Amino acid sequence: MRQKNISYAVIGVLLLAGALMPLVLKQYHLYMMTEIVIFSLFAVSYNLLLGYAGLLSFGHALFFGLSGFATALAIIHIPGLTILNTVLIGLVPSIVAGVVIGGLLLRHKGSYFALLTLAFSALFYAIAIKWYAVTGGDNGLNFTRPDLNLGIFTVSMASLAHFYYLVLIVVGAAIVFCWYFTHTAMGKTIVLMRENEERMQFLGYNTNAARLVLFIFTGALAGLAGSFYVLHFEFVSHKAVSLDMTTVVLLMTFVGGTKKFWGPILGVFIYIIFQNYLSEITDHWALFMGIIFILMVLFVPGGLSEFLLKVQRRLFGKQVRNGGEYAVPEEGRS
Amino acid sequence: MHEVAIFFLHGLVYAGLLFLVSAGLTLIFGMMNVLNFAHAAMYMLGAYFSYSVMLHFSGQLWLSILICPLILLVIGALIERFLLRPVHKLGHVHELLMTFGLAYIVTELVQWYWGNYPLAVNVSGFLNSTVKIIGITYPVYRIFIFFCAVFVGVAMALILYKTRLGIIIRATVNDSEMVSSLGINVPLVFTGVFAVGTALSGFAGVIAGPLLSVFPGMANEILIDAFVVIVVGGFGSLGGAVLASLIIGQLQSFGVLLIPQLSMVLVYLLMVSILIVKPSGLFGEEPL
Repeated sequence: MRQKNISYAVIGVLLLAGALMPLVLKQYHLYMMTEIVIFSLFAVSYNLLLGYAGLLSFGHALFFGLSGFATALAIIHIPGLTILNTVLIGLVPSIVAGVVIGGLLLRHKGSYFALLTLAFSALFYAIAIKWYAVTGGDNGLNFTRPDLNLGIFTVSMASLAHFYYLVLIVVGAAIVFCWYFTHTAMGKTIVLMRENEERMQFLGYNTNAARLVLFIFTGALAGLAGSFYVLHFEFVSHKAVSLDMTTVVLLMTFVGGTKKFWGPILGVFIYIIFQNYLSEITDHWALFMGIIFILMVLFVPGGLSEFLLKVQRRLFGKQVRNGGEYAVPEEGRS
Repeated sequence: MHEVAIFFLHGLVYAGLLFLVSAGLTLIFGMMNVLNFAHAAMYMLGAYFSYSVMLHFSGQLWLSILICPLILLVIGALIERFLLRPVHKLGHVHELLMTFGLAYIVTELVQWYWGNYPLAVNVSGFLNSTVKIIGITYPVYRIFIFFCAVFVGVAMALILYKTRLGIIIRATVNDSEMVSSLGINVPLVFTGVFAVGTALSGFAGVIAGPLLSVFPGMANEILIDAFVVIVVGGFGSLGGAVLASLIIGQLQSFGVLLIPQLSMVLVYLLMVSILIVKPSGLFGEEPL
């Protein structure tokens, strides 16, 4: 219980720090900060699959882009929508896709799962490129962010600071919900399934159903991130559904570390800041990212979060508690 | 009629290329259970090496065909030995991530060294001429590609099914632990198969260069198709790879002729429907 209080305190401090950002940051950095918050949700949802369930998906960008396109199309074709409505509309296709694809992939794991999600992603990518009339093909779609309507008054979303607060509240809430999810019985079931699925089946759990629910859930979260991503840049193109987008989230998650809930968020921070500064120095920043990635797979397979914990353990000689965040099977049930 | 025949031949040629890439991929997958994302990058590397070799030696394709697969054989062996084997104990996800990172790096390196634009590779002499078959004038080079694939396919089948080495490889695909306990150096077999698969992929790149020109996107273009081939044909099955390559070659070719908008989508639809009917692919065994 004390562990939980500490976690709540950390969340509170992070949110407070996030809320103060527009006061201290310049416009350019606030822009980056918004991107970081949005990608944090994307990476956290990805890590629920990769880190918690042990499922390597190459199709996560599918949900991201699908919701992005749906949001953009809703703004362009349905006049008078408020910003939250467009986000809700954006979620619908992601959830539908999650149900259909999840249903088809249910029984596959490991490399099969990776391959099949990749193929579905490629299918949507092909559609996004070829269906000019709807998706704008190579040109993508441009639009202006609609305003937020709270019934009594309207908040203009033209200002970046306003939009940033909206992102912080909605996306932040989603991330906190993910954290809460990992502490529920459902969240624990998923971790235990990764460790020993057969045993879970013997214990009477329907593992396929749990996997399907997880797949739909993470897909919807990625979709939420995608909607806000598109709203942030006021632009969407086939890049949002591409394999490159999945690569980005995979890099972020892996660099941060899959074994801790906060690992991917750390990864997003590092990736985006790194990318911004490295791309000013050299055109080949992607190459350096690739090399760092390979070195990490070889030498720090647990990612930065694990590395940091190791350093902490070395320095303070203290046993680090797991607090149910990571998937170490717990001795007793509280 | 004329058009149909031409597109049929185009389909056969593409099937040949696809087979060369996916044969190695499916063997590596069947044996090591590693989905090798770097495979298509090696195909691209083969094509770029060939471009450079031909630039320095005034368009000698034969020289490229000799040298480039050898270079890739070495690269493949090194990758398996020094990058894949250390992460093997961490599980499939890490191996997959490793090949994924490799593909990423190779793509970036290629763009750095050779530039981000298509490069034309020209063949000279007899290969550059055309020939009349079944009433159609058809480029010799495309026919050459098809026969290369047939040659490699037959050679692979002979080695796999008629030699002792083939027996070892097939047995390792089936149950590597058992083979290992019979006193065979399984890690060496892994390295060998990985290296040969990489070399085959490089060979495909060399002969694809003059046909498709060489560009940084060529890896991803064929990667997805090759993955579809091994899903449709069944993981680890050589016969499945042959059949699936032929089907997808024709599907791509006639897709472009009949419904150009949907030609890419057709391939995935085929894959999804196969998955629903028979999840293990045409010739595959049920996944464990």
